[in-house]
Amino acid sequence: MPTLVSHPEEVRIVSSRFGQGAAEIDRYLELGGYQSVRKAIDQGPDWIIAQMKASNLRGRGGAGFPTGMKWSFVPKQSAKPKYVLVNGDESEPGTCKDHLIFLHDPHAVIEGTIIAGLAIGAKMGFIYLRGEYRYLLKIMEKAIADAYAKGFLGKGIFGSQFDFEVVSQTGAGAYEVGEESALMESLEGKRGVPRIKPPFPAVVGLYGGPTVINNAETIATVPHIFRIGAEEYAKIGSERNGGTRLFCVSGHAARNGVYELPMGYNLKRLIYEVAGGIRDGRPLKAVVPGGSSTPVLLPNEIDIGLDFDQVGKAGSMLGSGGVVVLDDTVCMVDFALRTIAFYQHESCGWCIPCREGTDWLKKTLTRLHAGAGEMRDIDNVRYLAENMLGRTFCPLGDAAAMPTIAFVKKFRQEFEDHLDGKPCPHARHTVPELAAV
Amino acid sequence: MADVTFTVDGRQLTAPAGTLVIEACRAAGIEIPAFCYYPGLSLQAACRMCLVRIEKMPKLQTACTTPVGEGMVIATETDEIKQARKSMLELLLANHPLDCPVCDAGGECELQDMTFKYGAGGSKFTDIKNHRDEQQWSPVVFFDRPRCILCYRCVRVCNEGMDVAALGIQFRNSGAVIAPNDITSLDCEQCGMCIDLCPVGALTSDTYRYKTRPWELTHVGTICTHCGDGCKTTLGARREENGMQIVRGDNRDKSGMNGDFLCVKGRYAFDFANNPERLTQPLVRQPDGKLAPARWEDAIALVARRFREIREERGGAAMGVIGSTRITNEEAYLLQKFARGPLQTANIDHHRTTDYPGFVKALGGETAHFGSIADALTAPAILLVGGDPTEEHPLLAWNLRTNFRHNGSRIYIANHRAIKLEHQAKATLRISYGGYADLVRSLAASDDASLPAETAHFRDALRAEQNLLIVFGAELRGDAIAPLIQFGLSLPAAKFACLGDFANSRGAMDMGLHPAFTPGYQAVSTVGLSLPQMMDAAGRNELAALYVVGDDPVGRLGLAPESLRNTFLVVQDMFLTATAQVADVVLPSASLYEKSGTVTNTYGDLQPVKKAADTTGVRSDLELIIRIADQMGEDIRALVPFGRGERGDMGQSRGVQSGEADRHAVWLAAHNLEPKLSPFDPDALLDEIQRLVPGYDVDRFALMAGEPQPVRVAAGSNFPVSTGSESIQPANDTLFTSGTLGQYSEKLTEVNRFQAEKTLVAAG
Amino acid sequence: MSIVRDLANVAKGMSVTFGEIFEPTTVENYPDGPGPTRGARMEARYRGRHVLQRDENGLEKCVACFLCAAACPSNCIYIEAAENTDEKRISSAERYARVYNIDYNRCIFCGYCVEACPTDAITHGHEFELASLNATTMVMRKEDMLAPMPGSPAKLDTTSR
Repeated sequence: MPTLVSHPEEVRIVSSRFGQGAAEIDRYLELGGYQSVRKAIDQGPDWIIAQMKASNLRGRGGAGFPTGMKWSFVPKQSAKPKYVLVNGDESEPGTCKDHLIFLHDPHAVIEGTIIAGLAIGAKMGFIYLRGEYRYLLKIMEKAIADAYAKGFLGKGIFGSQFDFEVVSQTGAGAYEVGEESALMESLEGKRGVPRIKPPFPAVVGLYGGPTVINNAETIATVPHIFRIGAEEYAKIGSERNGGTRLFCVSGHAARNGVYELPMGYNLKRLIYEVAGGIRDGRPLKAVVPGGSSTPVLLPNEIDIGLDFDQVGKAGSMLGSGGVVVLDDTVCMVDFALRTIAFYQHESCGWCIPCREGTDWLKKTLTRLHAGAGEMRDIDNVRYLAENMLGRTFCPLGDAAAMPTIAFVKKFRQEFEDHLDGKPCPHARHTVPELAAV
Repeated sequence: MADVTFTVDGRQLTAPAGTLVIEACRAAGIEIPAFCYYPGLSLQAACRMCLVRIEKMPKLQTACTTPVGEGMVIATETDEIKQARKSMLELLLANHPLDCPVCDAGGECELQDMTFKYGAGGSKFTDIKNHRDEQQWSPVVFFDRPRCILCYRCVRVCNEGMDVAALGIQFRNSGAVIAPNDITSLDCEQCGMCIDLCPVGALTSDTYRYKTRPWELTHVGTICTHCGDGCKTTLGARREENGMQIVRGDNRDKSGMNGDFLCVKGRYAFDFANNPERLTQPLVRQPDGKLAPARWEDAIALVARRFREIREERGGAAMGVIGSTRITNEEAYLLQKFARGPLQTANIDHHRTTDYPGFVKALGGETAHFGSIADALTAPAILLVGGDPTEEHPLLAWNLRTNFRHNGSRIYIANHRAIKLEHQAKATLRISYGGYADLVRSLAASDDASLPAETAHFRDALRAEQNLLIVFGAELRGDAIAPLIQFGLSLPAAKFACLGDFANSRGAMDMGLHPAFTPGYQAVSTVGLSLPQMMDAAGRNELAALYVVGDDPVGRLGLAPESLRNTFLVVQDMFLTATAQVADVVLPSASLYEKSGTVTNTYGDLQPVKKAADTTGVRSDLELIIRIADQMGEDIRALVPFGRGERGDMGQSRGVQSGEADRHAVWLAAHNLEPKLSPFDPDALLDEIQRLVPGYDVDRFALMAGEPQPVRVAAGSNFPVSTGSESIQPANDTLFTSGTLGQYSEKLTEVNRFQAEKTLVAAG
Repeated sequence: MSIVRDLANVAKGMSVTFGEIFEPTTVENYPDGPGPTRGARMEARYRGRHVLQRDENGLEKCVACFLCAAACPSNCIYIEAAENTDEKRISSAERYARVYNIDYNRCIFCGYCVEACPTDAITHGHEFELASLNATTMVMRKEDMLAPMPGSPAKLDTTSR
């Protein structure tokens, strides 16, 4: 079990029950669990959605779509059953937050799922775990069984007239099914390839029914919002970015780990205060602010607040909250190659730009890093990435293209240092293992 | 649906709401390139070639998935789009082998065309391309994996169009590859649709691969010679030592009534024409009892002399003529005219596979209720009584599936066994093998309480249908057809289709290759012998001469060869069939792919046949009949109306065809047609058929332009009580057999064996 | 005066004539010259009878893509293609030319076929003595045009590149 880290500046809401044995249902109840859902049953769907909108909660998966608005898109009447889907396919390199939620607080996910179900009028929820989290499935399944045993799930939950079922399921190990429609395909037993949108999941989703699909962290946050109140929650964060967020610090920081901080928390402060600065006091070279798919930031660009708007203004994305800290020992060509190798491996092969583009980028970067590149290869890397950007079937192509463009733009000199058969100019090749649990 | 107005490249267009941008643009002549988009199949949005800029949308949008909207402003020709297309092709070509000089698709490759039009001048790619070895999936399908651009057309046509689902995808990223779901080989109908739809040379067919290049072929669109559906197949022929050899069949321009579709037979079973066993010179039985090659002049002179002698010595009643289900209408017409005229016999028949006369009789004058194959594509409801279209009528099955997929048609199936089309059926009724007549009687009868609930339910559902296409086969014959027709006519708008087995089964019957009917189902006063009766008569030494044109009664009926010992037997065929082996004279004839004329499919759609290939040494049946008649000293102008005037001046009082020529000249003038100059011109006979055969006076221009023309034959007066349905013998062909002819197609035989082995393996 | 001027003009003219007499000759001594070409000297890019080249392994370079036949303005190239098998391998690609004929009655030596060839299989040789009194001998078969196998003694003729 990974050790938990903490820092006095943390605002522990989602992580408030971490390390307290809340995976056991009795302990969870002791800690005030399953109170929010009772409140939600009493107040009804319209109230739930109004509260969600008031909380300014934005999706924690990466795109940052307001959750309350997402729930309100689901039609009230539907011929087909509606579903709630929890996206726990946390596969972004640098991100390891959902893992802790499933490990320490599975009931919060279940409770959040029920609330979402109540809000949209669904009778069934699915909790989809990443294929590599198979060992967490046991914890999740036990939590679900316990909830059924207590009458929190099944027919007439909490003695009300509502029925709600929850099923958990793992994937087969594909980054691609983190995309919501691919996840639905995978859950339906098909090849995990995204669907054509529109129609969006809120209209036609799982098994053709209207579906709300949310990130596991988003869903786990929901009960806490009802616990502390939507307005209170919204106040914690910055403007239009309600509440707190789990930031996963990895790489060359002194104290790597998952920290819960208010939205809008300063990135520089996160690295130098919360995470204890750079290991061995070395200089900072670059920061990847939100998982491997987000463009890299230079040391002079990190004095920004960590919310969707401010990071976006700085030319990157908040993404899934995976902050990767790189010191001066890192070869950026190697880092770019590793990133692209990941996306090449995970491309589903559906559309041309992503399938061929990542393959081509990987081949070229491999050659560049080995010192067999030419000047035009550097231009070509950028050309390819720019031509993939925005033209792929799903966001995976963008996820590969965006950081690549930033690497070439911000570290071109390093690429040029690799030309003409020169060995890698960095004495030590110490690209940190990206936090992948 | 209401029309919406939108702007493309500054042009204002309108299209029905819901039309996809790509379709709306193409309809307006604005080309939007695409690989994965294929009309009629599900949307894919995988190739990203059709990206367009739509105002107010943040990213480029795929034209193949975006429906047009009111006021939409679309740009398809900006520098941004040009760059997007160029880079997409650069990416595609990164791992695509540039082996165009040897690739089968070279010259008709969509990737080549697109690269030429939209691609970059050079390649930025300098690394090593991914390679995988080529695979053979079946006797006809090869897959060259690196050439594949993963447009998924093959997967979709197999799943959706064919309802076979033999193909899937293996692996992911640039290693993603199309693969058979059966791991190493295809468990499918071997239709080759995947090859046809492949935009590049990834899927290739065994019959064509590495043989030649598309521009070296002559392409002739003609009608498939196999089943009774009458699909258009475009045959590509190349010059060979012994004529023009067919090397591929496809539906190149999709202009036929079969649209995209061809089955394994239409696509690959043309190779009988190239079979080394093909007869290329006449054979005459020698005094030593052996067949030996002879000169054409001698063989024809011998046939003519013997026919004349027998006619004079024993009369026409001692002679018999058997026609074929694969010859053209013109040949069938000429053959019956030759039999009833110069040979003076009423003994004429062919291999009957279904009861067309019974159908025509039951329908009476209700000719508006003849269905055509096109109705299967649009009818909101279809009743299928017996048969298995998937095996016996692949185009009908394709149309029914397409209709179901696009229009949600309701298919009702009554059958004694499970058939594949039941996947699409709304209701299925399982009846006993002999229960078809009872079923249709119960459909037509007034409500019968004793009917099983299932049957009653089935009947009630059918009675609620307004617009029903009723399809039946040889399970219903003679009097059993009438109740079905009666039932159908009680509905507001029903149409009927009767299924027969071969390319011109319907035409052979329409043209009067029947002892009781002259062309157009006109009853004769003296009914001759049917085919089984002729064979019996031959066994009793009562048949002095038998003229078999393109049939193999000995092999098909399993007759003892000795039974024909005392009959002067003349066989015109492509091969030395069991019948030809006991013949006195064998004349090598041309296949349907080697001559021109018309054929009528089993639904009554008349279509032109065009000469696509040539085998040195063979002659068309038309030419052979005329040459024999000529050698017999007959007046050819009485048989074939060619030339101008003379016949009308000469012989108005002679023979059964008296006065023909005059009326013919009048008809030709009225139709603004010239007299044909050659007796060997099939159009001369078509003129006469159109003039004389009821229902065949269709629009000549539309016919020659290749549009199927519906033939609507009304039952003639004094229709006989019996239509001779007892001598009907269905061929019971599967997808991989085709009567006698199928045995001579090496590819079809190979596929048949492959399928049989697969079935055996599957059965353990 | 005029005589002197005229003589001077003649002398000036003749000086060119006599000067040229002592220049080396530019006329080839064909067909009586030395060597296998009998005195004919060819520019490197002279377009003579075609040669079908082989690759370094002795396989035919021609893959029967028909592009030469398609490019030929006088339609004099006739090809029949066939597929290579493992037992019988003629060219390095999947397809080879089973028959490759050029009809020199019609060939105009334009070189388009050489331009079109994607595998550099067909080239112009330097042989030009193609005249014949019998037109049927003017159709050359593949065997007539193929380059010798690598390693085999070079033929003493003018067909090599």
